[in-house]
Amino acid sequence: MTEPTVPTPGKRHGPRYGLRALAALWLGKCAGTILRFLGREGTHVPGRIALWVYPNLLGVIARPDTVIVVTGTNGKTTTTNLLADALHTLGKRVSTNRAGSNLRDGIVATLINGVTVWGRCRSDVAVLEMDERSALRVLPQLAPDIVVCTNLTRDSIKRNAHPEYIAWILSSAISPATTLVLNSDDLITASLGSDANARHFFGVDPTGNEPREPGGSAVDAAICPRCDERLDWIFWRFNHIGRVRCPACDFRSPVADVRVSPIDRLSGLRSLTIDSGTVGIRLTNESVVNIYNVAAVAATLDVLNVAPQKIGSVVESLTPPTSRFAEETVGGVRLVRLLTKGLVGVAVSRAFADIVSVPGRKIVLLAIDETTDRFDGVENTAWTYDADYEYLADPSISAIYVGGIRRHDQALRLALAGVDSNRIVLVESETRGADLVPLGEVDVVFNLHSNHNAGPTGDVVHRKLRQRLMEKSS
Amino acid sequence: MTLTIEMLFPEIANLHGDNANIDYLARCLPDARVIRTGLNETPAFVSRKVDLVYLGPLTESGQIRAIARLAPHKSRIDELIQTGTHFLFTHNAMECLGSRIVNAEMKYDIPGVGIFDFSTEVGMFERYTGKVMGSFEGTSQPIVGYKSQFSMVSSSPEIPGFMATSRGIGRNPTTHVEGVRRENFVGTSLIGPVLLMNPHLTEWLLSSLVPSREPQLALSEFAVAAYDARLREFQDTKMWSEFERVTG
Repeated sequence: MTEPTVPTPGKRHGPRYGLRALAALWLGKCAGTILRFLGREGTHVPGRIALWVYPNLLGVIARPDTVIVVTGTNGKTTTTNLLADALHTLGKRVSTNRAGSNLRDGIVATLINGVTVWGRCRSDVAVLEMDERSALRVLPQLAPDIVVCTNLTRDSIKRNAHPEYIAWILSSAISPATTLVLNSDDLITASLGSDANARHFFGVDPTGNEPREPGGSAVDAAICPRCDERLDWIFWRFNHIGRVRCPACDFRSPVADVRVSPIDRLSGLRSLTIDSGTVGIRLTNESVVNIYNVAAVAATLDVLNVAPQKIGSVVESLTPPTSRFAEETVGGVRLVRLLTKGLVGVAVSRAFADIVSVPGRKIVLLAIDETTDRFDGVENTAWTYDADYEYLADPSISAIYVGGIRRHDQALRLALAGVDSNRIVLVESETRGADLVPLGEVDVVFNLHSNHNAGPTGDVVHRKLRQRLMEKSS
Repeated sequence: MTLTIEMLFPEIANLHGDNANIDYLARCLPDARVIRTGLNETPAFVSRKVDLVYLGPLTESGQIRAIARLAPHKSRIDELIQTGTHFLFTHNAMECLGSRIVNAEMKYDIPGVGIFDFSTEVGMFERYTGKVMGSFEGTSQPIVGYKSQFSMVSSSPEIPGFMATSRGIGRNPTTHVEGVRRENFVGTSLIGPVLLMNPHLTEWLLSSLVPSREPQLALSEFAVAAYDARLREFQDTKMWSEFERVTG
């Protein structure tokens, strides 16, 4: 396989519009004003209109002195928001697509919003979330100063194929002049770009409790990229996230320039190590996913030459989303609603791991069959075998109620994963299980659903369970 | 009799959940021995009797690596196919055994192992996703499955297919012939995984592997119910899109 052809960077510090580009800009601005007047924020429409008038607008529109693109499979939205907040706290004027689309149209809409009517830039820095598959349509023209990649793990089989494919797209689009901020604990992300790129790595140190053998069905970086030998894991966290070394050559995971340590039980602080300096930080969200996001923000601020002490105080002030759980306790039973990203096996695996991590006797209502997939496009249920249903074989789960059109497939997957057939209850309707689950001998009831059925299934199941628990307690 | 199943290169051939094919086969054959041969190891089939050789879905660079490891054993693979050893190659694994793989976007054109005289074109910006239903001579019931792939295999009508599609495309959008079948070699681009989605196909494979024994399908209640539900849906013409039709 040959190295991808990388685009030539085109850094711009001032506007150089022709008449058509100005017309595109004005039309985009008009559309944005009208949409805001109608109460619609964050739409991609101004960008789409402007690009229709002048397809090269992304290449000529005035940009701030610093343009940062944030991409990756997971955490790009949160990292974009945290980074924009951090830079705002540091006194920068920030343009960001926080509320908008992360495709090319949305990015152009954000840049249009960030310039005056005469096209002069109004911000110091742009922090732009980018869908990783849009890289070839965005990066060559935008030529960002920094690209941050949070991670590249398996995503939709239909859209994203596999992480190596996404890495190829990104590397094909990244200019050698762009500085890369990369996750050192993700070998695929760490391989982005070429030798010409400046690279700054972030990582999260091992806790000491993590295994040294990978598990699960989605380990995408298992061999040495130099000699093909099976890699040894210094620690394994999830998917292919962890640190490795090759037993046959001197290859190993890159050393992180910015690292977050495990929590110190005495002080309650984590150490944020930046180059040779270390500061203590306290985080409001201690999930490992959030710690990686914070590490990515800290590494980016380090590239921007913010002092380590300042970085420490800024990242402490950030308020990331606290949890994907929505839970309440009714009649002494925890009722947990968990939205899963169906069609994406690794995301479903994380939800299953979350279930097992909760203590107590559990019952699960599972309605993650992607029925819309059948009608919106074309169905492909292979993702269920890319998800680690094995977590649900945990003895703390006394029953799994499976509803929906593909309930038999779900049951087959569960049984293959080692879930006792007697613990699998099939119910034709996605919501009927909520009427049937025994609530006597249980501490936690999980209501798992997907985006598409959040209303018709997730809401209904939650309501029914709450009602039954209230009746039981009274 | 203990059967030996060899999974080739599972550290790289593990996409799309397809290795569950072997997990399922192992559940159906609890006394079978599963060997997982690493990329830098010599395949077991080279020097000893193996009853089933399995290769699963690969990345594009994974295909290149697999070809490099299998090419030195071309004559042995040929011999094993001729003498009736079972092979199951799913998704793009089958393409490794063709005459060449051309990938214009990634800028390579490489020879395959050369067991079969077909070629593969990979289009990195033309991922095809579709359903497939068709007939396989070993079973009376239709085969069902899914495709999600960058590649299309040449029609090569002289090479017998694994199945003939009644709906959905075959090796490419111009043919109903899907996959490859020679003796007990089965190659198919279907994912699903195909053995879990088609319990009767698994029964056929079990019977073929152990003719002296009545096939014992693991988790048959769930597998058959899932198959029946899917088949009913696939038999409804409204469930099929224009791009899932064979053209030309």
